[in-house]
Amino acid sequence: MEQKENPCPHTGVLNIIDPEYTAHPQPAYARVLANHRVAKSIAMHSPILSRYEDVVFALRHPEIFSSEMDMQVLLGTKRPMIPQQIDPPRQTRYRKILDLRFSRPRMQALEPELRRHAQQLIDGFVERGECEFDQEFAVPLPCAAFLTLMGLPQEELDLFLELKNGIIRPPVDPMDMIAATEFRMKTGERIYAYFEKAIADRRARPQDDMVTYLTTVDFDGRPLSDEEILDICYLLLLGGLDTVTATLGCSMAYLASNPEQRRKLVAKPELIPNAVEELLRWETPVSLVPRVLKQNVTIGDVELREGALVNILLGAANVDPAEFPDAMNVDFERENNRHISFGAGAHRCLGSHLARMELRAALEEWHKRIPEYQIKPGAVPNVSPGIREQLYLPLVWSA
Amino acid sequence: MGVTVKLDHAKCVGHGRCYELAPEVFGEDERGHCTILVECVPPEHEKAALIAAANCPEDAIKLARS
Repeated sequence: MEQKENPCPHTGVLNIIDPEYTAHPQPAYARVLANHRVAKSIAMHSPILSRYEDVVFALRHPEIFSSEMDMQVLLGTKRPMIPQQIDPPRQTRYRKILDLRFSRPRMQALEPELRRHAQQLIDGFVERGECEFDQEFAVPLPCAAFLTLMGLPQEELDLFLELKNGIIRPPVDPMDMIAATEFRMKTGERIYAYFEKAIADRRARPQDDMVTYLTTVDFDGRPLSDEEILDICYLLLLGGLDTVTATLGCSMAYLASNPEQRRKLVAKPELIPNAVEELLRWETPVSLVPRVLKQNVTIGDVELREGALVNILLGAANVDPAEFPDAMNVDFERENNRHISFGAGAHRCLGSHLARMELRAALEEWHKRIPEYQIKPGAVPNVSPGIREQLYLPLVWSA
Repeated sequence: MGVTVKLDHAKCVGHGRCYELAPEVFGEDERGHCTILVECVPPEHEKAALIAAANCPEDAIKLARS
């Protein structure tokens, strides 16, 4: 597994679990883009697409690059998650009922409460002159908003985090795939059991929340079945509790390490919405998404065979110089930014309007109160692969 | 002389960049997909409309000078 250069210049093998790569993947992305139209992942040497052009082609052609794959080993699921692991046209019918609940106006309605919560969290540590950003801000802030949206009890947050982490980052030796799969399947059972109870409860006692909506919504002339609702809730739990946390951490790690960039935002807070987009492009916290080939396809001069698992490296596409002029420069005033950090095509992130609202509000509230800060000297970053969460990000400032 | 906007509805998946960057030109339906508010863009909103089109990850918006 030892590999000095990443990616290997000869084989194009990219080590996606190398800690240096997970912390700062952009130089490796640039080397992949320059040298390997189809690189290979260190895991099973499965092919990696990285060019913007190839990546959006894959995302927009689900009839070739399908999302319908057996992910029980990685997700603990008994059935596909809805709508993420279903292809159009069936996927589109589910998106129609879900998009209504994740529209921009609905997400904006959550903003005042989210800002109040951000201020409370900052109140809790501002005078201490330091915090561990992940546990004290990046985890609790978006998770509380998500639980409000879903209608799940706030006091059970630790349980939901345990369930989510049990799937995404099971607490076993990372090289022990058998133990990881067992842990995930046990955790999956607990997730199904929790939501089975919640569905029965909302059927008996309707509330103004997501689970109740799913029990009552008209789906092409019929109600959703309990299994369909479970498969939606499973996805919302994993997606809703992890990605904004990861994006907040990556954004703040960048701003803490680049004071001249941070000071631009402090001096001109009206740049923050655009800076959020640029940080999403640069950091691409959900760096890689999988697809499985439904037919043979040729990318460049490489033929990929039906049935193959293909890694779509969103992070590399987002620094492709063919799409982004001066791609390796982080420019908060970049005007043309068609980044695909929320994906592209039919599976565009359902929560993107929620994420954007949360990221802008969080960065605005933070920098009003704590404009100058840095990563604690000597601290070693710990960034998880795949979904790049800053699992340990101690920040310090003058109190 | 003016700029007109055309939307390819089949490409739009509701990223919402257009109605955030040029709210005078683009609106949203209840699913969050793009709607065209004004087909002929007034000169004062031309720059915003151009930026909105250039930020659509689906390349769903075309501008034409007529």
